[in-house]
Amino acid sequence: MKINGVVIEDTFAEAFTMRVARLLITGRTLGWAREAAVKLTGFATSVIGCKCEAGIERELRDNETPDGRPGVSVLFLTMDKASLPEQLIVRVGQTVLTCPTTACFDGLPEAPDRLPLGRALRVFGDGFQASKVIGGKRYWRLPVMEGEFLIEETFGMLKGVGGGNFLILATDADAALAAAEAAVAAMSGLPGVILPFPGGVVRSGSKVGSQRYKNLIATTNDAFAPTLKAVTRSQLPEVVNSVLEIVLDGVDGPSIEAAMRAGIRAACRPGVEAITAGNYGGKLGPHHFYLRKILG
Amino acid sequence: MSDTVTLTLTTDPTQTLVADCIAADRFAALSALAIAALPVVYGGRPATLGEFFRVRGERASILRIGGDCARIEAIGSGMAGGELVIDGSVGRDLGVAMSGGRIDLRGNAGANAGGAPAGAARGMTGGEIVVRGSVGDEAGARMRRGLIVVTGDGGRGTGKGMIAGTVVIFGKTGAGAGRFLKRGSIVAMSEVEYPATFGYACTYRPPHVALLLRYLGARCGLEVAAAQVTGRYERYSGDLAELGKGELLRWVGE
Repeated sequence: MKINGVVIEDTFAEAFTMRVARLLITGRTLGWAREAAVKLTGFATSVIGCKCEAGIERELRDNETPDGRPGVSVLFLTMDKASLPEQLIVRVGQTVLTCPTTACFDGLPEAPDRLPLGRALRVFGDGFQASKVIGGKRYWRLPVMEGEFLIEETFGMLKGVGGGNFLILATDADAALAAAEAAVAAMSGLPGVILPFPGGVVRSGSKVGSQRYKNLIATTNDAFAPTLKAVTRSQLPEVVNSVLEIVLDGVDGPSIEAAMRAGIRAACRPGVEAITAGNYGGKLGPHHFYLRKILG
Repeated sequence: MSDTVTLTLTTDPTQTLVADCIAADRFAALSALAIAALPVVYGGRPATLGEFFRVRGERASILRIGGDCARIEAIGSGMAGGELVIDGSVGRDLGVAMSGGRIDLRGNAGANAGGAPAGAARGMTGGEIVVRGSVGDEAGARMRRGLIVVTGDGGRGTGKGMIAGTVVIFGKTGAGAGRFLKRGSIVAMSEVEYPATFGYACTYRPPHVALLLRYLGARCGLEVAAAQVTGRYERYSGDLAELGKGELLRWVGE
């Protein structure tokens, strides 16, 4: 299969079940909402080192938020139920609560599993906090130096999907970067998906474990490192001199598929030889995204 | 079974009619005959609801009442769910001790709307009362939870002894609002007289008020000015002679 002369390899991306929450952060301006969201989702690229993965899903217009102010939708994922509230309580407490003018609302109101995020953070109010029930939902009002911070008492949690991916194999680094940027632009703002890595792009894809260091859980993906073609069991064609990876997390499989479809199509441009995907032979992750099926 | 139960006033009461049997959730399990047979007290004597109202529909938790019910008291008393829409004014004790559901009154209400029964420590403990008109004295007195919204004026002692919950008054708020308030919020969009036992805290934009007013616009179709949604409010804490965790918020403009 080829798109614009770019080979789409007959393989699949292998992804994992994660737990996901969606936070709607609003602010007096979009800028302040974004400031909070950027801090909240900072250092949240991979569960390998960050214990969570997070990113901005999209910006929200005034009429899309509960309080009628501009906002940002954030997806936040961890590997299990227990660690999601742990991570969120710490991070929201340090980044959204502290950010001027912001408020924080649940973006998954239908989810039956509830995280007591606002209930946990309310104690920052030191007994001066107050709650309000509006439209059947309880909100906590925390008195702060600026005025008040408003946060919903509970947030929904769903089973999400983490680790959707595809790799861009290009003839040189410039072509790989241009293709990756095009892919990210095509995927940005699509509902239900985030790209947790810097600019949405990974240059250091990893393999499980290590050939040399037994205590490491992930090391460089030498099979796709062009500088190691001559010394390792490389999977790169002769003409490929640079590889970049796009990693996607989402609320469900169809959202990941839709984003991969848009991203791969955008990445098929001059200088790109092939698109492939990372997997572990299908043994580790229950979600398999077959490239040709998605694009077919 | 029908979608809605409709009560149409056929006999105007010339004396006080206490109809605390009227509640949307209560009608959800009753036939039209059973509804008509519910007991009321008319001029201090026992009577039935059917002597004053024509009943249409049955076994529905949406209840509509048509007619001038200004002499009818305790409508929605103890209501725990469903929706009650009243086209006309009602007497005192509307939604007294209610715990859930929504009352939408297109008219005025008498005293003690959402309040407590005589001698009881708590008024309404949940649900919403929207009055598209004015209320009498002591609306929301001793309420524990819930929401009362009045598009017109509030009487004296609005929210008196409130334990928690929210009262929003778009018109003038009578004297003594919030006296003996423990927790809870009284939001005044117009004139309000503060009890001496309230202390001024600050002028700010309370985020929960914006959220609440937007909810009222979307859910209840109330016309709320954008300047009230995003505007600044004076916050008075009180009642400092009580727990002091309540507040009176007065809109002061954009």
